[in-house]
Amino acid sequence: MAVAEALPANTDRGGAFAAFFGGRTLGAVMLLAPAVLFFVVVFVIPVGLMIRYSFYQQTTTGDLTASATLANYARLASVDLYRTVVMTTLRVSAWTTLIAMLLAYPLALVMVRGNALVGRALTVIVLAPLLINVVVRTYAWRVILANGENGVLNWTLAHVGLGPVRLLYTEWAVIIGSVHVFLPMMVLPLSAALGKINPSVEEAARTLGANSWSVFRRVTLPLSVPGLAVGATLVFSLTASSFVTPALLGGNFAKMLGTLVEEQILTVFDWPFGAAIATLLTVIVMIVNLGSVWLVERRFPSRASEAH
Amino acid sequence: MSEGGLGKGAVLLYAITAVITLFLLVPLLFPIALSFSDTPFVVFPPQGFTLQWYWKVLNEPDFTSPFLFSVQLGIFSAIGALLLGTPTAMGLVRYSFPGRGLIQGLVLSPLVFPMLVTGIALLRLFTSINSHSSLTNLVIGHTLVTVPYVIRTVSASLLLIDPSIEDAARTLGATRAQTFWRITRPQIVPGLFAGGIFAFVTSFDNYAISMWLADAENFPMPMAMFALISRMFDPGIAAIASLMILMSILIVVVLERLTGLQRAMSV
Repeated sequence: MAVAEALPANTDRGGAFAAFFGGRTLGAVMLLAPAVLFFVVVFVIPVGLMIRYSFYQQTTTGDLTASATLANYARLASVDLYRTVVMTTLRVSAWTTLIAMLLAYPLALVMVRGNALVGRALTVIVLAPLLINVVVRTYAWRVILANGENGVLNWTLAHVGLGPVRLLYTEWAVIIGSVHVFLPMMVLPLSAALGKINPSVEEAARTLGANSWSVFRRVTLPLSVPGLAVGATLVFSLTASSFVTPALLGGNFAKMLGTLVEEQILTVFDWPFGAAIATLLTVIVMIVNLGSVWLVERRFPSRASEAH
Repeated sequence: MSEGGLGKGAVLLYAITAVITLFLLVPLLFPIALSFSDTPFVVFPPQGFTLQWYWKVLNEPDFTSPFLFSVQLGIFSAIGALLLGTPTAMGLVRYSFPGRGLIQGLVLSPLVFPMLVTGIALLRLFTSINSHSSLTNLVIGHTLVTVPYVIRTVSASLLLIDPSIEDAARTLGATRAQTFWRITRPQIVPGLFAGGIFAFVTSFDNYAISMWLADAENFPMPMAMFALISRMFDPGIAAIASLMILMSILIVVVLERLTGLQRAMSV
């Protein structure tokens, strides 16, 4: 009797033991080890080394100084030119995110709630540009925004009797180009969030006498915040760390962290300073990511865990 | 669903949406329009009609050799991403163990980590270990940033199939490799295909990694085009842009036919 009682427990424990250290775990290790090894060697360690580099300085012979220092960061914070670059990066990214939100909302609403055929067509229209090279899309904006009479926009303005505008090589050119390039990254999470809202909640609000605008403002908008937060994080991070768009549309007149770091590493060869800029960029992106997770989890404890 | 789902503002909303759609699409038409212009410079509005710029760029080594290099790089990277991503997806979907979330976070992190910084870190690594073969360096870098796409598409396919069929095959004496090849693989073909195409396209379009790892001889297409923009003033550059837009449209059509674009991009 005692044996009979002990047996099931024993096999159970034995089973769990075997499952953990025997065949099944071996299977998981075999499947996952190559990728984990690859990621540690070519991603985790190099990023760590790069961050470490940012705390050293380069001597005239190209070697590193012996002791760690914050000099690169002090330089980034104290020199006017670099401070301007940091501020431009934050400003351009913030405007791009805000404009992308305003444009993405109607698109996402129609994609989710509109006519099924229109929604499907819209999905393809929004997604397709993601597969067109960023250099090509940015080139198109150079053609449109070109200063002088050959620019599409200025030609059009001249024909309706409006004065020429100087947009290429300004911050606004970078913002316009970035909105065009990154808008899909806002529309996708937003439409996913809108799709999760139960239409009967909005129906109930309408039945209770709310007009379309208050249904949107009091029901739809608050419930879509998680999607907006994900989209905003993506667009802000991608804009802040972009190179092609600021280089081709902003040139030297709207320098951003991406163009500065390229110049410091590939032209000036100041590795430690370049590493400090790259680390700052990483910190900015991480703050934005963690901030949006924190915001969503505070307001939507259940939804945040659902999204993971 | 009817327009009722949008309430009374439906007409206004459709109008606004139409304008935003134009903002998304119309800019892409200008390079195409300008590429037919019969003028020695890019001018707007385009004048005349000629196909000579297409003929010119197709015979221009500055365009054709980076193009072929990018195709080669894309194929190698897609193979690398499939070889590394498929077992990872299987491990993450089929097993649960402590630290699973951490590993998943690690292998998907290149999607959220600033890619420019990943490129700098890779350049630092390859410089310190004296790895100067830029094709090898680029394939490693592109594989790193394309693996997450394969993991996502293959995971999505794995979640749709019944794991008990695999267990049955194992019980009946098939080895792990046999089970994968004869049971699992045929069922996840759409995921493998979408992942492979995605990895190829992502590699083909990549700039943020390539800009650090390319050298003067091994020059992928997006970088060649970037360089040509500031150097080529005839409509040839518009012709190159048009050819690349055309290629993207073909890929969109293929993906839409294969799995549906939305599913392929796993949104």
